[in-house]
Amino acid sequence: MKPNLLDVEHVNKIFTRGGFVSRRVTHAVNDVSFSLAADKPEVFTIIGESGSGKTTLAGMILNSLTPTGGQIRFRGRDLREIRSRRDRLEFMSHVQAIFQNPFDAFNPLKRVDRYLFSAAKRFMECRTPAAAAERVDESLHKVGLSLAEVQGRYPHEMSGGQLQRVAIARALVSNPSLIVADEPVSMIDASLRMTVINLFKKLRDEFGVSIIYITHDLATAYYISDRLIIMQKGRVVEGGDARTVLAAPQHPYSIKLRQAVLSVDDAWRDDSFTGGMPATAT
Amino acid sequence: MIADLRSIPSSVELRAPQAAPLLSVDRLKAYYKVKLFGIDREVRAVDDVSLKINRNEIYGLAGESSSGKSSLIKTIAGAIRPPLRVVEGSVRFSFKDGERDIYKLSPQELSAIRWSHLSYIMQGSMSVLNPVRRIKHAFADFALPHVAAKGADFTHLVEGHLKRLHLDPAVLQAYPHELSGGMRQRVTIALATICSPEFIIADEPTTALDVIVQKGVLAMIREIQQEFGSSVLFVTHDMAVHANLTDRLGIMYAGRLVEEGRTRDVFKRPLHPYTAHLISSLPRIGDEAPKKALEGSPPSLADPPPGCRFHPRCPLAIDICRREAPPMVELLPGHRTACHVAQADPARVRPVA
Ligand SMILES: Nc1ncnc2c1ncn2[C@@H]1O[C@H](COP(=O)(O)OP(=O)(O)OP(=O)(O)O)[C@@H](O)[C@H]1O
Ligand SMILES: Nc1ncnc2c1ncn2[C@@H]1O[C@H](COP(=O)(O)OP(=O)(O)O)[C@@H](O)[C@H]1O
Ligand code: SF4
Ligand SMILES: [Mg+2]
Ligand SMILES: [Mg+2]
Repeated sequence: MKPNLLDVEHVNKIFTRGGFVSRRVTHAVNDVSFSLAADKPEVFTIIGESGSGKTTLAGMILNSLTPTGGQIRFRGRDLREIRSRRDRLEFMSHVQAIFQNPFDAFNPLKRVDRYLFSAAKRFMECRTPAAAAERVDESLHKVGLSLAEVQGRYPHEMSGGQLQRVAIARALVSNPSLIVADEPVSMIDASLRMTVINLFKKLRDEFGVSIIYITHDLATAYYISDRLIIMQKGRVVEGGDARTVLAAPQHPYSIKLRQAVLSVDDAWRDDSFTGGMPATAT
Repeated sequence: MIADLRSIPSSVELRAPQAAPLLSVDRLKAYYKVKLFGIDREVRAVDDVSLKINRNEIYGLAGESSSGKSSLIKTIAGAIRPPLRVVEGSVRFSFKDGERDIYKLSPQELSAIRWSHLSYIMQGSMSVLNPVRRIKHAFADFALPHVAAKGADFTHLVEGHLKRLHLDPAVLQAYPHELSGGMRQRVTIALATICSPEFIIADEPTTALDVIVQKGVLAMIREIQQEFGSSVLFVTHDMAVHANLTDRLGIMYAGRLVEEGRTRDVFKRPLHPYTAHLISSLPRIGDEAPKKALEGSPPSLADPPPGCRFHPRCPLAIDICRREAPPMVELLPGHRTACHVAQADPARVRPVA
């Protein structure tokens, strides 16, 4: 049988801070398990409040953090075995990351096309500039841009949405099978947000890329996710088919999360505008 | 469970219509003078904006990033620094103790109205808290000069204010890093409102926060507004926040105000094609219909397109849009829009889903 694309098995991460006197232990990720099938690309969403361990979990999947316990396998191979430079490069070509703030991901003094070219050289062994340019242009087309539009431009000359698309194009240069996107749209406004979200859909449907989508935004999660898990204090409290879970959450924490979502439709539900002022308790 | 944020009667309906607006912004232009590749350029971040904010209302300002929201409110707060300059227009407040024209005040007069009359919660305002000093020192540094109370009376005042905002006075002993992001944001709001300012400006105060924390912070802002009868200018690109919090809403596009009305009217009956798109593209839980993103990208404010700045992306654009900038016109009571097509026939502007 073909191994899964990704297996996360009873994974734990414990951070210890401080000296002997004031040791602080944080159980950032606590016994988390899930798998992504190899032959079924999907958008797998991780939802949870600030500090619930989402980024830590992503870091372990990207093999930039080592689990304190449990195992993560990519295509059947334990990530701990991936150590040599060659193995690491090979792994990174399959698993790519996209982060929250596109402006942080690019050095303001460096032209954005240089990032794409260096990815082409690094992962695809494009030896000639023409081969690299072709590769880069192909990735940019997948995100609705082109090399002609991007060439020679600095980050400040692009909008947040364009820059986030360039970041995704860079991630696509190596033809990855998994993209881990940590809050990729929370800094982006509503109109551009849908550009990026629709792009994830397209990557899944047309290019067979699986996406781990980490977010606070339940509405976009509902819109694109196939499955999701909800995390609280490092643990998965609920998981399953995204629309089923979001439509009728079961765990008290998921219900609380669902109720905190501000909806445009509910805003004028109570036409009398009466009722008590909420206490600011959370 | 946290209750509905929109729990008071809409102040827009209750207010006597003849009451003078607290803030009047008139034909305001504020440009960044920058050098691009050795050439002097103007970035027209605020270009001919007029608006009024009434007493006791929350006025929302929406628009995509770099549409000029932050530049506009910095200009309103009198908090501009070069290269941003006011080129034309005026910003006038009519506070309870008299009128103030922000750009006719001396720096001393301006700093005298800060805190007491006008306070500004900045984007990323966590940075006002010094990481190596306890929270109580932040209150002493910022607020002590502006209040009559000193010593134990001052501490008493601060504790009372925190309690009123449902914050435990124990936070005064904490260092900023010991507090969660949401708690820090609430502390900065408490700090900004300790002198019961008449006008509060908040720039994306909840953008980095998760949904649960966000709702708590928004409830706090609503409560402060009610308790002190302040007016709030609330800026965010998050339309769901506007729908749930603000009384009136202004939409900015490329340095201009393109639509303004009661929040409910703007959502239910947008009169500008940009707003119509913005609203119909919002994903909603329970709605599986595909949502189209707006094609193209926002224009450069150093070299904006002629005529209506939205015309290169507008599905309704006609010839005149490419030549003449549409004026802001009141099409329905209290509902203004800057669109040639809507002004000719409002029914042409429809959700684009
Ligand atoms: N390098 C580290 N050292 C110590 N503690 C850490 C470290 N990284 C994360 N933590 C702690 O682990 C917990 C989980 O953090 P993590 O960044 O994974 O949360 P998150 O769910 O991504 O939150 P957010 O939504 O704010 O991004 C937090 O309590 C955090 O303070
Ligand atoms: N310090 C600055 N110097 C030059 N241009 C700036 C500066 N700050 C902002 N701008 C430009 O002004 C315009 C409006 O920006 P801003 O007011 O920050 O928008 P928003 O708050 O809506 O995201 C943008 O084109 C931006 O690039
Ligand atoms: S003025 Fe013309 S281009 Fe501008 S929004 Fe209206 S229809 Fe579109
Ligand atoms: Mg995180
Ligand atoms: Mg801003």
